[in-house]
Amino acid sequence: MSTNRIILGLVLLLLLIFPAFNMPYPNTFLIILFLYILLAQSIDLLMGYAGYINMGHICFFGIGAYTFGILWNKGLHLYISFVAGGVAAVLFALLISFPFFRLRGHYFALATFALVKLMEHLTLNLPSLTQGSDGLMVLQGNRMIPMYYLSLFLVVAVIGVTYYITRSRLGLAMASVREQEQIASDFGVPVQRTKTTAMVIAAAFAGLMGSFYTWYTIFINPEMVFGIEIALMPLAMAMLGGSGVIIGPVIGAIFLFIVEETLWTRMAYLHTAAYGLVILLVGLFMPGGLVRLRPFRRALMRVGLYQEI
Amino acid sequence: MEIAIQLVIAGILQGGVYALAAFGLSLIFGVSDVLNLAHGEFLMLGGLVTFLVFEATGLNPFLTGLFMLPMTFFLGYMFDRLLMRPLATKKEHVRIMSSVLVTLGAAITIEDGISFLFGAEEKGVDYSLPSFFWGDIYISYLRLLAMVMIAALTVGIHYYLKKTFTGRALRATAQNLRGAMLVGVDTRVIRSVTFGIGSLLASIAGVFYVVLLSIAPDMGLSVTIKYLCIIVLGGLGSLIGSLVGGVLLGLTESVVSYYTPHWGQTAAFLMLVGILLIRPKGLFGK
Repeated sequence: MSTNRIILGLVLLLLLIFPAFNMPYPNTFLIILFLYILLAQSIDLLMGYAGYINMGHICFFGIGAYTFGILWNKGLHLYISFVAGGVAAVLFALLISFPFFRLRGHYFALATFALVKLMEHLTLNLPSLTQGSDGLMVLQGNRMIPMYYLSLFLVVAVIGVTYYITRSRLGLAMASVREQEQIASDFGVPVQRTKTTAMVIAAAFAGLMGSFYTWYTIFINPEMVFGIEIALMPLAMAMLGGSGVIIGPVIGAIFLFIVEETLWTRMAYLHTAAYGLVILLVGLFMPGGLVRLRPFRRALMRVGLYQEI
Repeated sequence: MEIAIQLVIAGILQGGVYALAAFGLSLIFGVSDVLNLAHGEFLMLGGLVTFLVFEATGLNPFLTGLFMLPMTFFLGYMFDRLLMRPLATKKEHVRIMSSVLVTLGAAITIEDGISFLFGAEEKGVDYSLPSFFWGDIYISYLRLLAMVMIAALTVGIHYYLKKTFTGRALRATAQNLRGAMLVGVDTRVIRSVTFGIGSLLASIAGVFYVVLLSIAPDMGLSVTIKYLCIIVLGGLGSLIGSLVGGVLLGLTESVVSYYTPHWGQTAAFLMLVGILLIRPKGLFGK
């Protein structure tokens, strides 16, 4: 346990003093990596622990991004619009949680996937609010250091919250829903409330990250926040790293992101194809994800980072 | 009135093309319990082969489609044999996730590989037949032909599934995997054959796509999503459901698009979500 703490402390310390080295490229790299880690981890909150594959998780992200952009353009204070992004995502999660959690298994996954398409078309069709396909431009506010710390804070928060949940009653309730929903309900687990709570927490983080994303990139369009690429990649990262293990989505995100960057810089052509091939091979030969590979799992267990419920 | 009839005709045709590929996807899902995210790629490949043959020889695209059938069947068969069969014995939760990864990876690879080899631009076949008037209603010969072919194909598949041994074994596997195994159906081969038939249907839909609309190498995933929506709308595993779902979606799109051009797709997805909320297992789901 103490090795675990020392390692985590060192990593965190390194990340905290990182901007002092003043390297713009790795800094940007880390911010986008944090974005993916957060999305993968928050998808996994519902997928790995409660067993519901939410393919429409990116809706929360996009809603946060657009809410922030619109409100900030209206002249609201930065912090207020930032929080509003998260609040909007939470409200949306509450709105869809009641009807959508009547669906199970594949139906839930596919209906939420349709929700992504619905949101994309809605943003395209309401140009008075969202500027449609032209995309939304926000006020210039590109300050690297606060952005870096904000995204770092969000990632640490989502991992911390996930860790806390796995050790709480809520985590147990989620695991029981994942294993046998009917029996869990018979034993008095408030199934609906458990699922809604899990989705709301995930949505809050995704919404805040959406706000952050708009602030960071200055410009968003429907393709960027509701596109198929961004909808599927965090999902693939969580599955690839190992869903249902705290460190899993983090490792998946880091692995896939580094692979993408490497391929992008090394290969002039076909880097996307190679990227797809990597995803395919991992799915074929490492079912259960990277962290469940035996040597890897043993190493992670030794330092106490491997934990699942 | 004429407008209404014409909208309905256009919608049914569009829906027929949807239903064709959705039917294949529904078969695959019913037999193997896999959400095949690479289904749209077979549609794109079918359209692409038709386009290439048409560019080279000027052969009738529907004829090309006919010659293409064994090829796409083989492709689908091998797709299952090489990529999906190793996953079949895994636990359910793991199987769902790894099948998503594998089919997603395959879809991305095919999309990028094809746009590298054949260019990323949209492709269409410049093939048309004269049209005629029936009363006041304008009817395109090409569209009528397509509709007839889709109807014939649907009837053909229906008989294939009801009358032949393979078709019956396929339905048995879809209904009850263990039961089918017990009575001596080689379910592994049936799975591969189902993938073959599903890919074949998708590639025929691709022929209609390239003739009536256009195709692009990166269209696969978004098309797949639409088909997944259709089979959910009809009820997963229900074959009649995927037909009805496809036609319903096509009709909604064509009617709404006529009155408000940009809202066709939005209305289609709204309808899907709405129906799922009323009937959580789709229109014909059990």
